[in-house]
Amino acid sequence: MKLEEAKILISDDSILARKQLKDVISDYGTPTFIETSNGQDAIDSYKTEKPDLVFLDIVMPVKDGNAAVREIREYDSKAEIIIVSSVGTQAQLRAAIEAGAKDFIQKPLHREQIHNIIVSRFEGR
Amino acid sequence: MYAQFFGNFLLSRDIITREQLLSAMEKKATRRIKLGTLAMHAGYMSANEVEHIKILQTHQDRKFGELAIESGILTKEQVDELLKAQVPNFLLLGEVLVDEGIIDNYQLETLVNEYESESDLYALEYDEDPREKIETMLKQYMQAADNNINEYELLYNVLLFNNLVRFIGEDFTPIYSTVCTEYPKNFCITQKITGPFDITLYIDMPESVCIAFASRYVGEDFEQFDEYVQASIEDFANLHNGLYCVNLSNTKNVELQLMPPEIVSDPVLMFEHQAFLMPIIFPFGSVNFIFELNDKNI
Repeated sequence: MKLEEAKILISDDSILARKQLKDVISDYGTPTFIETSNGQDAIDSYKTEKPDLVFLDIVMPVKDGNAAVREIREYDSKAEIIIVSSVGTQAQLRAAIEAGAKDFIQKPLHREQIHNIIVSRFEGR
Repeated sequence: MYAQFFGNFLLSRDIITREQLLSAMEKKATRRIKLGTLAMHAGYMSANEVEHIKILQTHQDRKFGELAIESGILTKEQVDELLKAQVPNFLLLGEVLVDEGIIDNYQLETLVNEYESESDLYALEYDEDPREKIETMLKQYMQAADNNINEYELLYNVLLFNNLVRFIGEDFTPIYSTVCTEYPKNFCITQKITGPFDITLYIDMPESVCIAFASRYVGEDFEQFDEYVQASIEDFANLHNGLYCVNLSNTKNVELQLMPPEIVSDPVLMFEHQAFLMPIIFPFGSVNFIFELNDKNI
């Protein structure tokens, strides 16, 4: 799939973190971005928008990222979900993978990590 | 590096006031250090000799280095070495204070010697682990402030200093922390860590300081106090607290839970548990860190 045709859901309670992630991804193409700021909204948006890739923060209000991963994966077992978190402990990593996340990125974001995720899933411009 | 405590050292000796320190730090940010100050710090010149060359400069329109070489005080090699050397941050601060007439070169020479020997700076500069050095200096700082904090809280502060250096800049001075029961806030965000003990961090500063802090943190020139600036302060707290959770999990086998950061809406903060206020002065203004600690008898 071309990145231009993709829908990417970014869920993070920080508007800055969402912007930084969008800025990096936009260097490779212009997908449609869907943004939410808590786990429950991420689940709801997933069901209505059916995005091709999801970036989820763990520490979020209302419902945290791991709970959101579980619910999204229950709804769609093929959901491609990447956890992006400042808390990269082994326990968190394990919990995210057990919940069904495909990858785990620790903040602050490094361009190469995003690069690898994008180019392994989408064709560029 | 390791210069962060020099301003604090001067404050504790009542050499300068907090206002003088803030003003000197603002001026320091935009200036270059003088050769005489560097030569004095390197032990190549005494305060007396620096004053002598400065007097010569009032008679002859020539460079300080040239006159010092001609007077036989410095060699050309020493001048070249000094010009290439990295300037210790605290020397610049000292030099501004001399130029402002708050202290003279003789006092600066003595104060720098005392500061370096008290904090064991010479030995520290060549040490290989900066974390250990900062820990040593912070311990001294906390003890001097008479704050009884446990091992975990000390690690929290050491990491905060490292993160300020890494993400904001090393040109800051911490003011001795004080116990705080209530606090009228400016713009303030908070984030709580819970587990075997709780730490609630508050970061508070005026809006204009937020803009400068956020600009440094994100690496963009923010011009107004908008939602991105506010999110930057929360993001810094989140990054710091996240790293702290990782460190404690990796090194102490302590698992902590991080709550989402929030903007504080109450005009006055009231603390349920023991809280410390630690202002950190940057050239762009004062950033106030408050730590509310509930050690749950660990």
